[in-house]
Amino acid sequence: MLSTLELSPQTLDAEAPVRIAVKNLDFYYGEHKALKNINLDFRDRHVTALIGPSGCGKSTLLRIFNRIYSLYPEQKATGEILLDGRNIIGNDVDVNELRSRVGMVFQKPTPFPMSIYDNVAFGIRLYEKPPKSELDDRVEGALRRSALWDEVKDKLKSSGMGLSGGQQQRLCIARTIAQKPEVILFDEPTSALDPISTGKIEDLLEQLKSDFTIVIVTHNMQQAARISQYTAFMYLGEVIEFDATNTIFMNPHKKQTQDYVTGRFG
Amino acid sequence: MSDHIVRSYDADLEGLRRSIAEMGGMSERMLGDSTVALVRRDTALAQKIISADQRLDNLQREVEEKAVLTIARRQPLANDLRELISAIRIAADIERVGDLAKNIAKRAVAISGQFSPPHRAVVGLEHMSRLVQAQLKDVLDAYAASNEQKAMEVWRRDDEIDALYTSLFRELLTYMMEDPRNITFCTHLLFCAKNVERIGDHTTNIAETIHYLVTGQSMDENRPKLDTTNILVDLPAANG
Repeated sequence: MLSTLELSPQTLDAEAPVRIAVKNLDFYYGEHKALKNINLDFRDRHVTALIGPSGCGKSTLLRIFNRIYSLYPEQKATGEILLDGRNIIGNDVDVNELRSRVGMVFQKPTPFPMSIYDNVAFGIRLYEKPPKSELDDRVEGALRRSALWDEVKDKLKSSGMGLSGGQQQRLCIARTIAQKPEVILFDEPTSALDPISTGKIEDLLEQLKSDFTIVIVTHNMQQAARISQYTAFMYLGEVIEFDATNTIFMNPHKKQTQDYVTGRFG
Repeated sequence: MSDHIVRSYDADLEGLRRSIAEMGGMSERMLGDSTVALVRRDTALAQKIISADQRLDNLQREVEEKAVLTIARRQPLANDLRELISAIRIAADIERVGDLAKNIAKRAVAISGQFSPPHRAVVGLEHMSRLVQAQLKDVLDAYAASNEQKAMEVWRRDDEIDALYTSLFRELLTYMMEDPRNITFCTHLLFCAKNVERIGDHTTNIAETIHYLVTGQSMDENRPKLDTTNILVDLPAANG
């Protein structure tokens, strides 16, 4: 009925292939079971938001996707996470290769103490040794794609630490996309930023979703409603409801979801 | 419904519901009184209704402003957002009900000095108005109780009012044909009947809004239309 009235970011393609399939995933911090039987599909070139109160397990889930947890021996995941059909939590996975395919942007911008150029080139040099001219092109491309190029093109040699918070965050996004990942994970990427920088990051996310599969953890409900096509509501280590974003925020099926998105949780 | 973590949010929504309840009560009274003024040719009562409408208009503006402000302040989602959108819509419908009742009151003043046809001419209108008053009361009760079922009953009953309007239309035409001196009076009555019928339509609008508020779905089914007056008068042009 509403054929002519489409709101851009929410248009979703239910036929899009599943890029990441989480199946019967449990996760333990030592004895504590932090995730309980998670089953979720993340679709290719869509933004999926994970929402829920602090401690619900959304960041934990995000950190499993690129195996950050394997740095800690007492943490353990069981079940399956299939990235393009391959289980990434198996022992035979090359974690470095996985991290080049699954990039991550954190809550606090994490530029390295080096020049803007080297920050972006760093990720590329980890895996490849392209000639200088190609490296230049890729650094420029990544900075353009992260909407930072015009602001930094005249000071590529100055330190990345000298940029503003919002610029630093976009620099981190540039560093991530320079590696040409397939999936980008965002862990509350704008919670430390002012509204203008937040707007720029959100705008950027919309551009990026045409090339990448994006998973974002956010505490800002309106942000999730604006930028994602799918949303999962998590609570106490479980997925309570997973559906199209419009359904989650306008007409959720579970009472717990409704109570959370309307600020009634307690 | 459990309470919001921010308690003033609950107070805001509660305040809106109270204002709408007040508006609803006023509109019911205006419709009832305007019918009485018409039947009894009570111009004093009619004047009171005409001046009461201002208060209803003010309340509507207030509800709208408060709802918009609440959206800006709290960025509501899900049922809260529907609550606010519904408040805006229902306030607008009630305000229109007030305007239509006021128009009936104005006509009561206009016909006070006119030649009057037999009293039975106004009996039909009085009956129709009573039915619509009951509809209005029921739909406002349904809103106050968020009772979707009750709202749907109101919605379904509107065809009775449409049918009644059609028969009233025929009846008034007959009086006019019987005696041309009835024409002015009956024309005013016709407009009054149309006003009452439209108030009925506003009650179904409110019922549809309640359906949306409670279920989150818009109504897509078309209500059966029994108002056939638009095809009763056979215009020559329409035949050519």
